[in-house]
Amino acid sequence: MRELRGALPSILSVITAVVVCFFAAALTRDLSTAVDAFIAMTWGAFGDWPRFFETGNAALVLRPLGESATKAAILTFTGLSVTVAFRVGLFNIGAQGQLVVGALAAAVVGAKVDLPALLHIPLCLLAAALAGALWALGPALLKLKRGVHEVISTIMLNWVAVSLVDNWLVVGPLRATSSGDNSVSGTDQILASAELPRLLGDVSRLNFGFVLAVLAALATWLFLTRFTRGFEWRAIGLSQDAARASGIDVERGFLEAMLLAGAFAGLGGAVLILGTELKYPASLGAPWGFDGIAMALIGQGHPLGVLATSTLFGGLRAGGTRMQLFGVHKSFPELMQGLALLLVAARLMWDRLIARVWRRKESP
Amino acid sequence: MISLRHITKRFGGVTALDDVSLDIKSGERLALIGENGAGKSSLMNVLYGLYHPDSGDVTFDGQPVRIKTPADALARGVGMVHQHFTLVPTLSVTENVVLGREPTKFGALDLQRARREVDATCAKFGFSLDTGARVSDLSVGSQQKVEIVKALHRGVTTLILDEPTAVLTPSEADELFAVTRKLSDEGLAVVLISHKLREVLMFSTRIAVMRRGKKVAEAIPAETTPEQLAELMVGVRVEAPPQGASATPGATVAALERITAPGLRELSLSIRAGEILGIAGVDGNGQRELAEVLTGLRPWDGGALHFEGEPVVRWTPRAARERGVAHVPEDRLRRAVISDLSVEENASLGRHTRAPFAKGARIDFETRRAHTTALLEANDVRPREPALRVGALSGGNQQKLVVGRELASEPKLLVVVQPTRGLDIAAVTAVRELLREQRRRGCAVLLVSLDLDEVLELSDRVLVMYGGQLTGEFARGQFDERVIGRRMLGILDA
Repeated sequence: MRELRGALPSILSVITAVVVCFFAAALTRDLSTAVDAFIAMTWGAFGDWPRFFETGNAALVLRPLGESATKAAILTFTGLSVTVAFRVGLFNIGAQGQLVVGALAAAVVGAKVDLPALLHIPLCLLAAALAGALWALGPALLKLKRGVHEVISTIMLNWVAVSLVDNWLVVGPLRATSSGDNSVSGTDQILASAELPRLLGDVSRLNFGFVLAVLAALATWLFLTRFTRGFEWRAIGLSQDAARASGIDVERGFLEAMLLAGAFAGLGGAVLILGTELKYPASLGAPWGFDGIAMALIGQGHPLGVLATSTLFGGLRAGGTRMQLFGVHKSFPELMQGLALLLVAARLMWDRLIARVWRRKESP
Repeated sequence: MISLRHITKRFGGVTALDDVSLDIKSGERLALIGENGAGKSSLMNVLYGLYHPDSGDVTFDGQPVRIKTPADALARGVGMVHQHFTLVPTLSVTENVVLGREPTKFGALDLQRARREVDATCAKFGFSLDTGARVSDLSVGSQQKVEIVKALHRGVTTLILDEPTAVLTPSEADELFAVTRKLSDEGLAVVLISHKLREVLMFSTRIAVMRRGKKVAEAIPAETTPEQLAELMVGVRVEAPPQGASATPGATVAALERITAPGLRELSLSIRAGEILGIAGVDGNGQRELAEVLTGLRPWDGGALHFEGEPVVRWTPRAARERGVAHVPEDRLRRAVISDLSVEENASLGRHTRAPFAKGARIDFETRRAHTTALLEANDVRPREPALRVGALSGGNQQKLVVGRELASEPKLLVVVQPTRGLDIAAVTAVRELLREQRRRGCAVLLVSLDLDEVLELSDRVLVMYGGQLTGEFARGQFDERVIGRRMLGILDA
């Protein structure tokens, strides 16, 4: 009950954002178009259930859900990345860079190493996690040894990663060796043994990545709430001074959390490559790492909140493409995300509102 | 005149204030006394606009007024200085004082004018403060002065002081009382929330006693005694605690050998098992730093620390705890508890990786709950709700939790700083008895307190610190308050 009440500001923010965006669409187009577009987005996000019941065609539900889940998986990983750093009081703005190097590591190991799937996939995931963690290690060490603020160092390393990977490695040394095709962009295709298995066959792109994301969120939640080390992280995040005075190794907590943050972002990159892109593409499609900040904040730093937020916005984004059929731009879901983030940041407003409603309910 | 009439305030099922009426007259010094949780602070928070009463009203000169926020209260000339300071540590004294109503020149902060004005306020009320200093560099005592100056600078006519002397040295407290006397002479009303009967009798022109949310009595200082007041506050007679039998100290537990660190100059001392070593001194003379060195919170530049006869190498808070050092720090909310964690989580802090709080790498929720429940019971922490946020407990109950937690580890060395700050009489007695019990158990206790009475009452041996050095050592039986007082000021007689 208390947890649910804690989630209220986020839920109300998201609802408000969706409603405001609906009116924005209605004002720029017209009301019936907006209704059609938002319905299309909903079916595109979570399955066209009415037509499924009409026709019995499971693909009408499974295909959209698969698209939503693949996006949700990546958002969950980058959201968790920001969240674990957040829980020790650090702000990891570097999930994007960590995701980029993780994605590249997954693409390279996926293409260059030949192993049975049972070993190949874990190896790719491990490589991505290590690459992401390595990218976060720099800022962590700079913070501990030199007192460099992690916001500055992680932001800067984002651009280093993008320049290094997108602007050099992927168009240079690691560019796909053309095999007959005239125009190839990105790196070599990964081998079939590195592809994340699809859970529903060809009917949907739903793959194992979403399962990994759910497991990661659950594991993070259990770690933070059930384990003494998770308790130490929370203590550090809430009060460094009290944690230190209690004998908790604050520096070690920082280091561990940043490494895990990098690993999660790297895994997000791996899921993107091994699940849907199947190579490191010329463009990653969305600033997944930066979106992770929004997921963490709307999810209020709760791993399961991040999972729920990511699932919702992953879905809305997948469904958003269908809005284009009605002449409504597909970036509306991103607008909703931005607006929801803004409203969540106005936390005090919700707290007051909720407190007032609560009081009215309690008093006779 | 301000009248609080039939004020009732409930929090959930708890009635914090039960039909309380109180007048505050211009030019008087009103002392509001009572135990922790008696409702003193709650009542004043109603007047200051922090709490909104469920029933009852507030009148200013007979006119009913609704005070919704502290801003409303300030606009009516009511200022309050809280126990927990509300200063911005990185700003200067001047900036803190003018914060919210800064003088400007061409739309920009006119810092020079601000400083002149703040200096003038300080001079007017007899405060000596370096108004250019950063607040984080000031001692707790000086920070409180800044809080008071802040209220005075806003031109308040009613000044509420919530436990002001809890952090002050005796001379600073005297200074404060002189200032408040001057304020009341000028027609201001001063309300003092306090536990300390002696200072209440010294300070006030009128005393209101609260117990369990009710006002149980009013008294004039000349017509009452500390014993009577104590009885009114707690309902039963509190007897002065017996002086403990003099200790038979054992082996040296910890020894500092010419330790030099920021705030400490070649300090050498030793603490033995089974003794309470009291450190007397005016705030800011190295006591805090001494406690931090012993508990691993402060590295030192020169000298050595020996623990149980061996020099220590890497002395971190964790290492210290593992060797059997327990710590009741001065700044409870900063170092001892984490407000946003639950009571049971806080009860486990420091020993959270061991039984009864953990089983392997996992938190042992069942035994943690059981252990915490027992801890709350044994130390009379109220309410007895292990799942409650610690921030929801009163300061006194937080402190009882901290002391109970630290003693539960059966330490070899116990470092306590200001252990009874802000506690009510019953809690003070309980905490002091716990310290004596630790001594009987054979624990070495280092007691740092700005309350000289406390140091003299508890200690087997008293060391006086001044300027990061020792200026005197006194064994029980040789305590002479006047000599100790001089040494505290750095005066070494021939």
